Amino acid sequence: MNRTESKARDDGGALLEVRGLTVTFGTPRGDVDVVRDLSFTVDRRQTLGIVGESGSGKSMTSLAVMGLLPKGATASGSIRLDGVEILGKSDAALRKLRGNSMAMVFQDPLSSLNPYYTVGLQITEAYRAHHNVSRKAARAVAIEALDRVRIKDPHLRIDHYPHQFSGGMRQRIMIAIALCCEPDLVIADEPTTALDVTVQAQILELMADLQAETGTGMIFITHDLAVVSQVAQDVVVMNGGVQVEAGSTEQIFSAPQHDYTRALLAAIPRLDDDLEELKMVGDFRTGATR
Amino acid sequence: MSAGEPLLEARNLVKEFTTNTGGVLSGKKRAFRAVDDVSFAVGRARTVAVVGESGSGKSTTARMVARLMPADGGSVLLDGEDVTHGTGAALKHFRSQVQVVFQDPFSSLNPRHTVDRIITAPLDYQGMGVPGGKRQLVKGLMERVGLNPDHSGRYPSQFSGGQAQRIGIARALAVKPKLLICDEAVSALDVSVQAQVINLFKSLQAEDGYSIIFIAHDLAVVRQIAHDVVVMNRGAVVESGTRDEIFDNPTQPYTRSLLAAIPTINPEWEARRRVNEQRERAALT
Amino acid sequence: MPGYILRRLLGVAVILFLVSFLTFCIFFLLSPDPAVMICGKTCNPARIDQIREQLGVNQPFLAQFWQFLSGIFAGRTYGEGAAAIHCAAPCLGFSFQTNQSVVDMITARLPVSVTVAVGAAVLWLLIGISAGLVSAIKAGTWWDKGAMMFALGGISLPNYFIALVLQYVLVVQLQVLPFPSTPDFGEDPLFWFQSYIMPWTVLAFGYASMYARLTRANVLDTLGENFMRTARAKGLPSLLVLRRHALRPSLTPIVTLFGMDFAGLLGGALITETVFGLNGVGKLAADSIGKNDQPVIMAVTLMAAFFVVVANVVVDLLYAVLDPRVRVKS
Repeated sequence: MNRTESKARDDGGALLEVRGLTVTFGTPRGDVDVVRDLSFTVDRRQTLGIVGESGSGKSMTSLAVMGLLPKGATASGSIRLDGVEILGKSDAALRKLRGNSMAMVFQDPLSSLNPYYTVGLQITEAYRAHHNVSRKAARAVAIEALDRVRIKDPHLRIDHYPHQFSGGMRQRIMIAIALCCEPDLVIADEPTTALDVTVQAQILELMADLQAETGTGMIFITHDLAVVSQVAQDVVVMNGGVQVEAGSTEQIFSAPQHDYTRALLAAIPRLDDDLEELKMVGDFRTGATR
Repeated sequence: MSAGEPLLEARNLVKEFTTNTGGVLSGKKRAFRAVDDVSFAVGRARTVAVVGESGSGKSTTARMVARLMPADGGSVLLDGEDVTHGTGAALKHFRSQVQVVFQDPFSSLNPRHTVDRIITAPLDYQGMGVPGGKRQLVKGLMERVGLNPDHSGRYPSQFSGGQAQRIGIARALAVKPKLLICDEAVSALDVSVQAQVINLFKSLQAEDGYSIIFIAHDLAVVRQIAHDVVVMNRGAVVESGTRDEIFDNPTQPYTRSLLAAIPTINPEWEARRRVNEQRERAALT
Repeated sequence: MPGYILRRLLGVAVILFLVSFLTFCIFFLLSPDPAVMICGKTCNPARIDQIREQLGVNQPFLAQFWQFLSGIFAGRTYGEGAAAIHCAAPCLGFSFQTNQSVVDMITARLPVSVTVAVGAAVLWLLIGISAGLVSAIKAGTWWDKGAMMFALGGISLPNYFIALVLQYVLVVQLQVLPFPSTPDFGEDPLFWFQSYIMPWTVLAFGYASMYARLTRANVLDTLGENFMRTARAKGLPSLLVLRRHALRPSLTPIVTLFGMDFAGLLGGALITETVFGLNGVGKLAADSIGKNDQPVIMAVTLMAAFFVVVANVVVDLLYAVLDPRVRVKS
């Protein structure tokens, strides 16, 4: 497959560089910043984990990078993909990057696939949006893509509809869509949250394998600290739209500096121990009515 | 009644759903067993967790036990009495003893009712009188679940997800039930809030002595709350036992694969973090 | 699939049987004696008995109902001997007023009602769906507000009111259109068009309003779906995103509604046809009700029920074709 010119060149610079990103929602009661002054870097072959609870702004961050913010939201700051500023680019220019240089995997694979079309069409349309090829050629690409995400009998399954697949299979299809144009950056927004734990393990393994094969940079957004500790080399902890703490995964998990990170780590239910919070905080009820 | 007798027993529960095979238009129907011969017992003041992945039949089992769905086979015994098919007064009595806390706190609370009205609704249904008055009871319950009692006139939308779940718990506890059925009651909550609600369930149980059936998919959460664990897969019980039996010595391959799949933090990092934090705390004192 | 269609057709037969039984009951129990009506002014008891026998209304209820049913499939003969009149299948009897065969009366008028229905349907689909689409895509703008105001008007204003106003303004005052009647297309295409354009517009206005609102609501729902975000994340052109991913999920439910509405109109647009003096099934129904012409009312009712019940089956089948979740089992 020919790589188009917009594709990143591996010249040693950061793949994605976000500086001072602020996402603002205009509301009748004034502007609200859902993300404020956020900065991070993603390198090739690396995974950056962004963790936070609901309302932390982690999903808005990913949509801002993709240029897919909902109506009423504006982003400011700087987003550089392979050294080129993409914030403020026209929608037509961004469209050439979306799906091609940067792709996304979403949380709920069933609702993220259109129930009216075969998975084949939903993969080929992604490929054909960026490659001027015949239907037949695109179909071959789609079969190969299904094969790469380890779906059996891809030449048969390509003509099936999303509802004919299990949850884990659907997420594999989403990954196939994201990877079919060989993007430099993949943003995965809670890609395993809706899945069963055994399926989650399989999908995480698949994503790691594919990343090793293709060398893409990845942003892995999740609320699950244990998952992020396994997949990411670097972690940004977010709360209320701001970065609480950032560092290497080892740093964050073995020597967290910020109280919020510590509280979050303490609150994770563990398989081998009782809840730390119960041991640490005397009267948990007082903390509840904050 | 002897103390050793379980509070609730589910015996050979069965639930079948008919599904269309080969498309709606073909009209071929097939019975599908969502719950197949499931039995377990819940001891007094104990928490039994029923765990499984989606499609395991755990929620269907809970609904049958809670009498929210009729069983196609088997029976449910509460205090040794068969409560599987009771109606009218018998069902009402059952509801005064068994209460349910649901997964999504907001969709299970009427948005047009005040907290006050939500919490007292089961009492009104039961026609129960309250010594000291309902107002006093609501305030007491709100305090017990960690809500500000002055907020009893507010509506569910004015609360956060964790607080709304506390309202649901207060409502369930209003009739002083013997058994609480929690259907994925902490799954929708953020991790910090989840920990608080788990602890709330435990401490209230220590005070009131009710039993809990805790339906969950998250084994790590189950580890924190359950005394006994029932592992389900494809409608059937795979394995059951005490918490430590299941977590430390699972006998079934399915249970083992379930436990192995749970993502964990590098234990080395965990140990270092704890040492760091202890050191800091020691430096402070 | 064939088994399914067979079962559905059986259902259709049962429903039609029940409808005919019910309508028959109502006429049997509530209507005045047709013999007295037919007999007219120069009447005596003997003549009435004679007419009763001729019509078969002197027999018990179930026998009459059986005769009516078998008439539809096998034809029937009224009276005996020399006075006997044979009515070939499908026989729905003769009008009390004109003595014409009811089937002939309906077949003569059905093309008019079909013309009204088809023309109106084309108009309302074009206008309703495009207005709904524009409203949804430009939600909150003046386009949206204007279209929805217009749609509210279409839903609130009664059909006959719009019909009368339109007729008064265009025909009487401005005289841009001739007074409508029931012309033949082959004779005078221009007059044909001029006659039908008002009934089409009037009918289409109400339906288009409803369809515009429904389309708008459906498209807005679809635009909020996660798969729309996926489509945009693929870098598809916005028009393709809309055309492929938003349109089909939004319009599929409208197919159901359209099937039923269209079938309902085939049974005759009673008010519109009457106001514009079009000799369709609707006007026939209105006239027969006014004159208590039981066989005609029965027949028109049955036919309307037939169209609706058949449309129901067709729509269900169509839905399966359009929605793979119905068609293909997981």
